[in-house]
Amino acid sequence: MREVFSMWKNTRMIILTALSAAIYAAVLIPFKGGIPIVPGITEVRPANVFPVIFGLMFGPAGAWGSAIGNTIGDIFGGTLGWGSIFGFFGNFFLGFLPYKMWGALGLVPANDVSQTINSWRKLLAYIIIVIVSAAACAIIIAWYLDLAGLIPFAFLSVVITLNNAIAELVLGPPLLLLLYPRVKQWGLIWTDIMSKEDVSPGFARQLGAILAIVGSLGGLIVGVGISTGLYGQALFQFGSGAKGQVGVWLGVLPFIILIIIGSLMMSGREQFVEETE
Amino acid sequence: MDSEIYLDRDTFFHRLDPRTKIIILLVTFVIVLYYQNPLWVLPISALVVLQGILADSLINLRRIRYIMLVLAVSGLILWNLFASGETKLFWIFTVESLAYSLGRVLIMLTLITAGMIFMSTTRNEEFVIGMIRLGLPYRVGFAISTALRLVPTIVSSVFIIAQAQRSRGLDLDSGNILERIKKYLPLLVPVFVSTIRNTNIFGMALEAKGFGAREQRTFYLDIKMQRADYWMLGLMLVMFIITTYLKIRGFGDIPGLIRF
Repeated sequence: MREVFSMWKNTRMIILTALSAAIYAAVLIPFKGGIPIVPGITEVRPANVFPVIFGLMFGPAGAWGSAIGNTIGDIFGGTLGWGSIFGFFGNFFLGFLPYKMWGALGLVPANDVSQTINSWRKLLAYIIIVIVSAAACAIIIAWYLDLAGLIPFAFLSVVITLNNAIAELVLGPPLLLLLYPRVKQWGLIWTDIMSKEDVSPGFARQLGAILAIVGSLGGLIVGVGISTGLYGQALFQFGSGAKGQVGVWLGVLPFIILIIIGSLMMSGREQFVEETE
Repeated sequence: MDSEIYLDRDTFFHRLDPRTKIIILLVTFVIVLYYQNPLWVLPISALVVLQGILADSLINLRRIRYIMLVLAVSGLILWNLFASGETKLFWIFTVESLAYSLGRVLIMLTLITAGMIFMSTTRNEEFVIGMIRLGLPYRVGFAISTALRLVPTIVSSVFIIAQAQRSRGLDLDSGNILERIKKYLPLLVPVFVSTIRNTNIFGMALEAKGFGAREQRTFYLDIKMQRADYWMLGLMLVMFIITTYLKIRGFGDIPGLIRF
């Protein structure tokens, strides 16, 4: 995760963080009063397409931008509250996992690691990344809000995962195809701005990606399983079960740790290629 | 959307050090969540409203009145699904669950009002320098400050482009929510492209002015804690201790409430 901190030395990465945050927040705000799913916590969010796109194109700047943008969206949208705290971390991972996993999955060909969807293999990689990052974001936020006794994990984790993934799957590919060539031309892809040495070297990168997948999807499945089975929180129904129980947060915590370990193992250096003119 | 939320007034709260205002906001966020019973939440809400009146900032709530109305109405219904009680009223509603919903809605509106008062009394620059003085690295502070400043500009650009397209016959007002979202997407692309395109120029301008040249930097805006700040911090500490003590003693719950 070295690049997450080393990027703050680079002026352009700082600006990209600010721009990503501003764009994400600017699109979040008009929908704040739209269709609330859980009042004051989450609503229908088509803007969720941006973290994954900015993560892929701007790397760590996109991740920080997503986290800051979500908080600014809460401030301007008038929904600043306790959910904003773990919303920050959840949205960070929504932008962070895409660029870490892009080259680590083994699906993107080594001779063309460009962060756009120009082949079936890249489309498959994109779909996997979207589902994993959406689930990671969801379990982080839902885990905390369940622990705080505000919303049941079973409901919120599924809602956030779907809310993230649908926007990213439907709107992401055309937006990425449209934006990537322009951003590349301006030299603003993160691998064009940062130096390879500033990026974490990682180790056993593919295993790291697998751990991230297991952590995200496993956390979601096990968390929902525990809360619906052991403690009786119904999947899409509030009126049963118990929140804030030891089983839910203790059961999901190892999976969140697994995501963090997987993130430490992945690199992003494989996306640095020598340009041939 | 107006260009900024900050209201240029000369009130007691406007003159406070941003660090004090950040701490007031944080303490409010903590203590308002202590109680379930709306009668116990109400005094805290009243204090927040009093703060808004003294800071002459409640007018800004007009900007989000629609959001607050949606949150209040949907919250009053939805939170009943999270709780139940012994005294049945009708359908999913019991006296206890209704009291719980009222409490939750009151908490939500209080949080929103407190956040809005903070933004109305604190300039972006003050907010960021306050956080930097509390330990945030200045580069991160700069990114947040820039983003805060750019949001209204980008939102305004979206609306201008939308109006331009409308004048050319694009119908943005018909269809269901998904169809409307799809219609807005082509409008957003030029805004993003023009925003991102300026990155290099922005970067050069910053570096020409020495951004990042030194690890420590000085600030044009200087903030200092005054006597009023210490009084306010003392008051917040007292409030925090009293509300925490009452919470620990078990006050503020709703008798007979069953939470799911």
